[in-house]
Amino acid sequence: MRILLLSVIIALVMPQLTFADEAATVKKNAEQRINAVIDHIRDKSLDKKTRNAEIIVAIAPMFDFSQMAKLSMGKKNWSMMNPAQRQEFNQLFVIRLQESYLEKLDLYTDEDVVVDQAKLVKKRIHVRSHLVAKDDKIEMIYKFYKKKNQGWKVYDVVIMGVSIVQTYRSQFAGILKNESIEDLLKRLRQTGRFTVPAGKY
Amino acid sequence: MVLACSEKINVDCMIAIKQKNEMQFVGRYIFLLIILLLFIGCSQHHVKPENDDFNSSPQVVDQNTPGTDPLQTDPETTNIAFQDNEEGSMNSGVDLDTADEDFDEFEDEFGDVVTTEVYDPLSGYNRFMTGFNDKLYFWVLKPVATGYSWVMPEFARQGIKNFFKNLYFPVRLVNNVLQLKFKNAGEETLRFATNTTIGLLGLWDPAKIWFGLEAHPEDFGQTFGVWGIGPGPHIVLPILGPSNLRDSIGLAPQWIYLNPVNNLSTVSGWAGFEAVEDLEKTETKLGILALERVNNTSLRLGEYENLKKDAIDFYPFLRDLYEQKRQKEIEE
Repeated sequence: MRILLLSVIIALVMPQLTFADEAATVKKNAEQRINAVIDHIRDKSLDKKTRNAEIIVAIAPMFDFSQMAKLSMGKKNWSMMNPAQRQEFNQLFVIRLQESYLEKLDLYTDEDVVVDQAKLVKKRIHVRSHLVAKDDKIEMIYKFYKKKNQGWKVYDVVIMGVSIVQTYRSQFAGILKNESIEDLLKRLRQTGRFTVPAGKY
Repeated sequence: MVLACSEKINVDCMIAIKQKNEMQFVGRYIFLLIILLLFIGCSQHHVKPENDDFNSSPQVVDQNTPGTDPLQTDPETTNIAFQDNEEGSMNSGVDLDTADEDFDEFEDEFGDVVTTEVYDPLSGYNRFMTGFNDKLYFWVLKPVATGYSWVMPEFARQGIKNFFKNLYFPVRLVNNVLQLKFKNAGEETLRFATNTTIGLLGLWDPAKIWFGLEAHPEDFGQTFGVWGIGPGPHIVLPILGPSNLRDSIGLAPQWIYLNPVNNLSTVSGWAGFEAVEDLEKTETKLGILALERVNNTSLRLGEYENLKKDAIDFYPFLRDLYEQKRQKEIEE
């Protein structure tokens, strides 16, 4: 009887424990990758091109960029696209996200990044981190979901309450209300690469 | 002392009055000297390097190879697509079909794209005003702030920013109390007391550096939000930028009763200045607020441009940024 009770308790507690364990692992991995990026930024010996390429290599496995692309489009609009459009959209969007990320790093000076906690939210893991700037803290939440056969991947980043995916979602939805998917792709082709000098856009 | 003098004027008393005046005089000059020292101290200035070579950056496409640790991999051997090559640019295992059981779950999480759209009856005007503010930034604010940042060392600008932040104390205090955040209100009061005295009228922030007391920014818009008042339509204000009906109304009590410039006259009164009457004039108030704006902008040059590049459609992008940020601030 006692053994039965014990095994029931263990059976109940175990999944929670492994889940908490997984959250800790996800947090550790995220921390490692973020630190790798910071090391690259501080390493002034690298030229920018190599540096940026290495940063992407370091950070990319943590993200599911294609999922972010899909979510930004939303199910309804995504299903309206043909495979070729999906391919192109995915490619343009991913380049855009990565370049935007690299551009943000240029604004980064000597701030510290502190990864403070991993929280389980339904079936997701939210890893909260802080960028400690001169006079304010910038909160960044990396949201992970468990991808089939690939483990935990980031599907959204929330910076000071602003979700990247959500922001793209409403921009795309707004554009697609009046324009076709081809028009949207045309816009992305133009603005997807940072060839436009600041101040004239 | 004065009472004694009015009864019988004697030499001792005259000296005492003179000394008192001198004390005031000296005090005023010490104050001025401190400020001057703070500003002159160092003349180096930081200019953020303009980054023009972004075109040359590699077109890195998603690397999603499961099972390999990229921290260990040699960048030479991994296939980064520097050009848009067909092969290898699309990562393996990417599911671009709709048939994805996760998709529905995510749809619930982010909400329907159609219904979550912000209520925006003023979008025409807002778009125009976003363009106007944009021009204002590039033609006026940015050049002025850039010039200013060349003249003013960064730590002085940071000091001025702290100084203004300290003057917003009444706004934060009142709104923390109105939101029943008494602990934060107490911390704000301690911060103000510390920074106004030891922190040299707020130029410096020892409350945070020494005592770990953080500011708790709250304004009337947030208070109204906490009380359950919705944001109303989004409004882009001239010069001030994105706002909504609720937050715009929240600016009124702040301007009338808790204007930082009013606090400036109080503080300068304490410092012994007699320019208080000038501070009551609207043009002086506007001038001081303009200085604050230029000063704050000079510390964030490049951020707006960077943000702008992230947008596909700039106005809804800014609007969403504002509304999501406010939502979070209210929830906290």
